[in-house]
Parts: sequence; structure tokens; C-alpha cells
Amino acid sequence: MKIWEYILRRLMLALLVLFGVSLVTFIIARVVPSDPAALWVGPRPTLEQLAAARAKLGLDQPLPVQYLRYLGSLLRGDLGVSIKTHQPIIQDLRAYLPATLELVLVGMAMAVFIGIPLGVLSGARRNSLLDHFSRLLAVAAVSIPTFWLGLLLQILFFRELRWLPISGRVSIETTLYQPIRTLTGFYLVDSLITRNWPAFSDALLHIILPAFTLATYAIGLSIRMTRSTIVEVLEEKYIVAARAAGLPERTVLFRLALKNAIVPTLTVLALSFVYSLTGAILVEVIFSWPGLGSYVTAAVLSADFPVIMAVTLIVTAFYVVINLLLDLVQAALDPRVVLR
Amino acid sequence: MREPLISVRDLRVQFHTYAGVVNALNGVSFDLYPGEVFGLVGETGCGKSVTGLALLQLIPPPGEIVGGQILYCGQDLRTLPPAQMRSLRGGKIAMVFQDPAAALNPVFTVGEQMEMVIRQHRRVSRRDARRQAAEMLRAVGMPDPLRILNAYPHELSGGMQQRVMIAIALSSGAEVLVADEPTTALDVTIQAQILDLLVSLKKERGIAILLITHNLGVVAETCDRVGVLYAGSVMEMGPTTAIFREMKHPYTQGLLAAIPHAERRGRFLSAIPGSVPSGLQIPPGCPFHPRCAFAWDECRNEIPSLLPVDEGHWVACHLYGRGRR
Ligand SMILES: Nc1ncnc2c1ncn2[C@@H]1O[C@H](COP(=O)(O)OP(=O)(O)O)[C@@H](O)[C@H]1O
Ligand SMILES: [Mg+2]
Repeated sequence: MKIWEYILRRLMLALLVLFGVSLVTFIIARVVPSDPAALWVGPRPTLEQLAAARAKLGLDQPLPVQYLRYLGSLLRGDLGVSIKTHQPIIQDLRAYLPATLELVLVGMAMAVFIGIPLGVLSGARRNSLLDHFSRLLAVAAVSIPTFWLGLLLQILFFRELRWLPISGRVSIETTLYQPIRTLTGFYLVDSLITRNWPAFSDALLHIILPAFTLATYAIGLSIRMTRSTIVEVLEEKYIVAARAAGLPERTVLFRLALKNAIVPTLTVLALSFVYSLTGAILVEVIFSWPGLGSYVTAAVLSADFPVIMAVTLIVTAFYVVINLLLDLVQAALDPRVVLR
Repeated sequence: MREPLISVRDLRVQFHTYAGVVNALNGVSFDLYPGEVFGLVGETGCGKSVTGLALLQLIPPPGEIVGGQILYCGQDLRTLPPAQMRSLRGGKIAMVFQDPAAALNPVFTVGEQMEMVIRQHRRVSRRDARRQAAEMLRAVGMPDPLRILNAYPHELSGGMQQRVMIAIALSSGAEVLVADEPTTALDVTIQAQILDLLVSLKKERGIAILLITHNLGVVAETCDRVGVLYAGSVMEMGPTTAIFREMKHPYTQGLLAAIPHAERRGRFLSAIPGSVPSGLQIPPGCPFHPRCAFAWDECRNEIPSLLPVDEGHWVACHLYGRGRR
């Protein structure tokens, strides 16, 4: 199959990109004036302790040797150890990455299911009340500061209405009495697999506010993007032809027009997805969500380079894979697109 | 005489643009009988496409039908509820367009597009819809229907695309086909094939075709009757032979005199001085009078009505109205 060849080639390229990124982050880590050995040992180190740490971390080796060792461990799937907590990074990621992915994926789903339909209807009924409303919403959504919106939603839905929990991934009751058995690290998925219904609904209630807060920007983007492409597509002759053939407006908009209009929206959503992997820190802080953003921010503040390098690699990997997926989706949607 | 399938009476369409009100149709009347090809001719901008779209109630905003009737089986389509109008579209009255490459959705296969339309009008399974689609493709002269069903529009030639459009239009049993310049975008040899197809569909299925064109050669070859449109009004209407042999209206005479030029220069009407009035400012009286060699006072002040001069032959011109009174 030709498509497999294409995917394989793109994945090879992705490896090349990852290799480059690992080299760049490694060089930056060694150039920046900070002493990993000092961080490893802690405050008030003795000279002996520092020398021992240097030997343990391999810092006494020539740089090329250090890099090759680093590459070697990467190839074995070993992302290294945090020089601050001395924890294997992979272990931290197993906790933080699924939490972030779950949050971001739910947020993206919201953007898709709120932003795209609103954009379509708004583009189809230009200057209607709905159009004015969703355009206002789009502008508001991209300009509201995240922390302000998060706090506002907490005040409204937690303090005033008491509909939704204020923060965390699950409530203490769930942790104590209905603990979720960790399989994938995605609470919604794990509770679903183990049929832990009380935990599932608890996790669902917990994710609504942070996911929505995170998604507002993407919702705004997808409304605007979808609206403008739909407006263009609705001018096409094949839309008149579809109406002339008696197809109902629902089909015309959400099937015939949307399939022609959705790719630019998916592109901005994909970019926003990758950005949110580490850019969701404000949401994570406000909603006490143990995610990648807070993890990497802490690492940056303490110059914990192995962590920074690992997270950079992970995010890069997501970026390349999502771009590949995007190209595949585009080719699947439009037969005129040639993959090469 | 047979009953007309569609009767258009005094149809008026306006576009409300920033520049002002565009009077696209100013009282157009004609009948369309089952099993005939009725040609609508006129220069670009005279209101042919608008007439076709009006039959399907698909005038795009800022346009609006502001007067007249479109009777189909005795019902005025203007007052039909939207849901009923929708089932007429494609179900009874269908339309094909000038540029088939643009009128087919690029991201769906021919089969998907045909199935969608067929299943919109008939309660059939996907498999039956596909079978009907293949039959319809065969009926419009496509050699390998099963392959075509799986093809995307861009994989087909222009002539095949137009055949597919016609197949989609007729796949749900339409009795009326509005064909808006169906061959203008095609090569000359392909044009003839598509016109032959339309004529054979008329003969074999008794379909009524409103053939919109600016090409008098096309009219002569395919139409049973013709209406000549100028600035949103019918100037002359009658059997094709009568129009070509005994044209009455000075505008029709100008059109026909221009035919040799048309073949040479790819456009017609070079023989008539002046240019088509804009819908923003239709001249008072006969809209053609500023370009007419015979115009006199009456032509400048009074709109001539469409009056019969012969069996089935009608003319809107004071030259003929006067003699009859
Ligand atoms: N979308 C529109 N907006 C404004 N005016 C229009 C629009 N469509 C058509 N018209 C006007 O209606 C008149 C008839 O157009 P049309 O029926 O497309 O002409 P043609 O005979 O070339 O098919 C034109 O003079 C044009 O100015
Ligand atoms: Mg036209």
C-alpha cells in the first residue's frame, strides 16, 4: 500500500526531527550557566559531594560522550532522572501526561462540538441574531484572560450554583471509597473500563470546568475559522446544485459544505492542541490539575534540565505525529490532495 | 392543446443591492409543455439564469420574487410551504448548470452524490439507490457506470461531468429540467453530444426542458419553441421555425443578423448598436427602444404587451400592436 509507505517515510522524518531537537536541547542545557551537580546534591554541598554527583551524572565526561550516552538511554526508552527530585522522569510523566491529555482532549472535543456547529450556522445565516451572538462569543473567547474566566466559572458553578466541583481530578470521597484503578492514567477511560460508575461521573464533573476554561480560546478560533471558510464554500456552485436537487439545508451545511470547509479549522485546533500540552499551566494551577504544564514550569524554575529536555521531546513527538494525522485526515477528506 | 406543466405569469424579480434596486425580471410569462424543449435566449445579464432559479425558488439573496406566479400542476410555487418546495426540487423540477466541474461537489464520489439525492426523494436502501444511480448513469450514456460511481468529479472529463449532473438531476423522476447554459463550458464536439442527450431524454421520457442559452445555433438544433429575453422581459416567443423564418421583433432580427459574427468572434449581437441596459435603470417604455432603429414616441413611453401575431407566435413590439388594434 502506498499510504503505508508515506506514513513510514513521515515517521522516519519525525525521528530525524526528534534527533535534532534532542541535540539542540542538550546543547542549550550545557551552555546555560547552571550547575546540575549542585542541584542534585542540594543546598550547602561539600566538594566531595559535588565531585561524586558530577561522576554519577556523567558530567565529568567529554560533551560528545555525554550526548551519546544521553541518546543511548533515550533509545532504550529511558528519559533520565530529575536532578531535583531524583525521580525517574518516565514515572512522573506516567502521572502527568495522561492528566494533561485527558484535559486537553476533552477541551478539544468541546471546541469541535461547540465551535464548529456555531461557526457553520453563523456562516450560513450571516447577520442573523445567532451570527452576531457567535461572533461576539468568538471575540470574547479569544480575548478573555484564562485565569479570570477560570475564577469566574468557579465562583458561578461551585460557590453560587453548587453544580460542579471546584478543583482536582476527582473528589476525596472517590479517592477513599471508589478509587480508580490506574490502567491508562485517563480517569474517564479507566473508570469506564472498570465500570466504576460513581468515579466516572465524579471525574466527568471535575473535568468540565477546567476543560471548558482551557477550550475557550480554541472555541473562539474554531468559530471564526469555520465561519469564514463556510461563507466561502456556500458561494460555490455545487451548493446551489445541491439545493436544486432538493437536499435539505442540514445536509447541505453539515455534510456537503462542512466537508469542504473543515480542514483549516482542524489545522488551528491541532496547533492549539499541541500548545495546550504545556501551555495549560494557568488552568492547571487554578483547578489544581496535576498536569504537564505545572510539571515543566517547576522544572524550568529550578533548571531541572533532564525534565525540560524530556518534556520538549514528548511535545515535539506529539507535534510531528499530529501534523502527520492532520495530513492524513486532509487527504481522506479531499481526494484532490496528493500525499507526497 | 395539451396542458402546460409549468406556467410562468408576469414574473418579477428584484435584487436589492447597495447600488439600488436591480430589476432583473420585469413581468416574464411563458409556458412549458411536457415533452418539449423551450429555449430561453438573450444576451448576458438579460435574466435567463434568474428565470431558471426562480422556477426552483432558489433566487439568492439579496434577490427576491416580487410579483407574478409560477404555476406547476395548478399550484403557485411561490406560496408552497418550504418542505413541499424542497421535495419538488430534484423530485419534479431539476436543474443543471453551466460549469459541471463547479456544480459537482469535489470531495464526494459520484456515487455518494447520487445516492444522497436519490435517498432524499425515495425511501430506498443504499444498495437500491446505488443500483438506480448506475441505471441512471447508463441512461445518460455513460459507458462504465460502476467505475463512474466510485470516481470523484475531477477524475472525469467535462462531458462526463455534465452527463453525471444530468443523471443526478433526473435520478429522482423529475419531469422538468432547467438546463442553464449546459454546454457553454464544453468543447464543441462534446456540446453536440450533450444536446443530443437532452433531446433524446425529452423524446424517451417526455421530460420538459427549459434550455437556457445565449447561443442561437443551440436553439436552432434543439428547441421546439423559443422565448427571446431582453432586459428581463420577453420580446418574442414562438415555435423555433417561426422565430428563425419570420422573426418580428427588431431585437430578434438583430440577434439573428449577428449569427455569422457569433461564429467568427465567439460572441453575438455585434450587429445591434448600443449595449444592454443595466437592471438598475431599465429604460421606460420598450426596454429595447434606445437601440431600436424603428422606435417612435409610443416606444419611449408605453411598455408593449406580448400579443399574438400568428398561431403560437407572440411579439412585444408596438410595430405589431398598432396594426392589430
Ligand atoms: N446576486 C445578484 N446580485 C445582484 N444582481 C444580480 C444577482 N444575480 C443576478 N443579478 C442581476 O440580474 C440580472 C440577470 O442576471 P442573470 O439571470 O444571471 O443573467 P443571464 O441572462 O446572463 O443568466 C443581471 O442584470 C444582474 O444584474
Ligand atoms: Mg446566466
